[in-house]
Amino acid sequence: MNKVYSMHDAVAKFVEDGDVLAIGGFTTNRKPYATVSEILRQGRKDFIVYAGPGGGEVDMLIGEGRVAAYINCYTANSGYTNVSRRFRAAIEQGKLTYEDYSQDVLMLMLHAASLGLPFLPVRLMQGSGLMKYWGISEEKRKTMPKLEDLKCAEIENPMVPGQKVVAVPVPKFDTAIIHVQQASPDGTCIICGDEFHDIDIAVAARKTIVTCEEIVSDEYIRRDPTKTRIFGECVQAVVWAPYGAWPSQCYDYYDDDDAGLKEYDKASKYQDAEDAKAQLAKAAAKAEKAAAAKPEDAKLADAAAKAKKASEDAAAGVRIPETFQDYLEKWVYSVKDHTELLDKIGGYRLMRLKNEPHLGYSTRH
Amino acid sequence: MAEYKITKQERQAYAIAKNIKENQIVIVGTGLPLIGASLAKRVVCPSCHPIVESGLMDCSPVEVPRSVGDNRFMAHCAVQWPNIRFIGFEANEWLHDEDRLIAFIGGAQIDPYGNVNSTCIFGKGDYLQPTTRFTGSGGANGIATYCNTIIMMQHQKRRFIEKVDYITSCGWMDGPGGREKVGLPGNRGPQMVVTDLGIMKFDDATKRMYCAYMFPGVTPEIVQENTGFEIDCSKAEIFPDPDQEILRIIREEIDPGQAFIKIPKE
Repeated sequence: MNKVYSMHDAVAKFVEDGDVLAIGGFTTNRKPYATVSEILRQGRKDFIVYAGPGGGEVDMLIGEGRVAAYINCYTANSGYTNVSRRFRAAIEQGKLTYEDYSQDVLMLMLHAASLGLPFLPVRLMQGSGLMKYWGISEEKRKTMPKLEDLKCAEIENPMVPGQKVVAVPVPKFDTAIIHVQQASPDGTCIICGDEFHDIDIAVAARKTIVTCEEIVSDEYIRRDPTKTRIFGECVQAVVWAPYGAWPSQCYDYYDDDDAGLKEYDKASKYQDAEDAKAQLAKAAAKAEKAAAAKPEDAKLADAAAKAKKASEDAAAGVRIPETFQDYLEKWVYSVKDHTELLDKIGGYRLMRLKNEPHLGYSTRH
Repeated sequence: MAEYKITKQERQAYAIAKNIKENQIVIVGTGLPLIGASLAKRVVCPSCHPIVESGLMDCSPVEVPRSVGDNRFMAHCAVQWPNIRFIGFEANEWLHDEDRLIAFIGGAQIDPYGNVNSTCIFGKGDYLQPTTRFTGSGGANGIATYCNTIIMMQHQKRRFIEKVDYITSCGWMDGPGGREKVGLPGNRGPQMVVTDLGIMKFDDATKRMYCAYMFPGVTPEIVQENTGFEIDCSKAEIFPDPDQEILRIIREEIDPGQAFIKIPKE
């Protein structure tokens, strides 16, 4: 069966508002940015999101207000942004419904989903805030049909009397989105390098969208079945999306885009122009206060002058720094689809990201 | 050759390397622990095996990776396991009743018993709407559950406090027997805290933090001034600086791009 779709049609057909969405990849590695961007373009929303260790892809969905609940264990473009900024701002402003699990527990939950287990007993999170504090209360959970009623429950191990263990729910995914190196039209996938939780969510989800660097024939992909990782019957759509993990990495193919991730780091500080003006004004006031407290410090005075100028320029509309909205306009909304995005990034920039085979990464990224 | 003037970060990296033992399996993240483990692997303790929570085992990256899932870790490792295998490996470690696994974790707040917060600072708010939000646990909670840990922190009064807002990674809880009470393995726990001032350890009997080593130039007064609870410095010794060759290796071989060890310009 031929499951090859265009990016547009795959998302239009297999992503619905309110879906429980499982996202593959690990912070800045093999994150399915092409699909996330198409979801943003098509206006899909109200997701319950599980991303394992998330990065910019989750941050974009949160910043755009598409997330009804986020089940978090870690969210950062590690090495570029210590804490994903729209995620952080949404929580600090009380705008995000979220739950915290430890990464171990969350990854085991995704695995348990792939195994079809009814619930999961673990000996993790005990004694910690992860058990004590619930982001989503039992009452609220009961109003959310796609979320289990409890975050966790301490129970006695029926096999080992007296031993306390923690029961956690096993999620049910509507849609999994993953990016792989090679896939064939029948949905069979080859993943090079670490699989992360991608196989687990592909097996567990009702619908799986796979984007790939290369589409190869059903015959070719079976030439060495030690390399195939996902059975095609777990997959609903195969989409050709070279550099579909950009600006994150893809093992054996390309490195992360240093400039792209740095641009996102800076831009995502500010939700939009109004937010930038407000934050710069606040920073200027703070710098002025610090300088006033130590009038003899020339460095502080200089910093205060710079902050004042930046704030005034932003307020007057002379120079407003790039914001999250600007970034999305530039790299998501202003392009029709992923192929247009690749043209916009540019051939030379993409070629520089290519992995150098002897190293397994790029020295020019 | 000009003499290298040691930085605080290099002292910490060296302290990390010196605390890794022969044949130990070392769970590292990125940042300083990675530099310390790289130094151990190259010079101080070449028999150690660095592993990362994404599931990459016995890593020997050529270039400093930026994240635990980085292609730089993934290339040149022994096995590319998925994260769940790492969790299983860590959890089954208690089968080996020996001191062969050591892990590095970081955090924003720590209490006298080594309980660490890396989730959020409540400030004027609470857990649901904190003043400062961080990434969340990552692998730290599981690591602190099953492994002996070395905690990396900046030594500041606002970070070393009597009670942390949120326990992300359990230390010795409220003292002797505290871990067992909540269902955690009692024979595992935090071993020390490496800060920019020195090395803090935990008293065998009370499980409370004390100062075991101070870096050159640091005094007990400085340690106490920067600690938000009473800390015993009466047993503290001076932790000697590494020689020039160690600094050369850090700067020219391990982190020439200054990804994590920043060298101030003269």
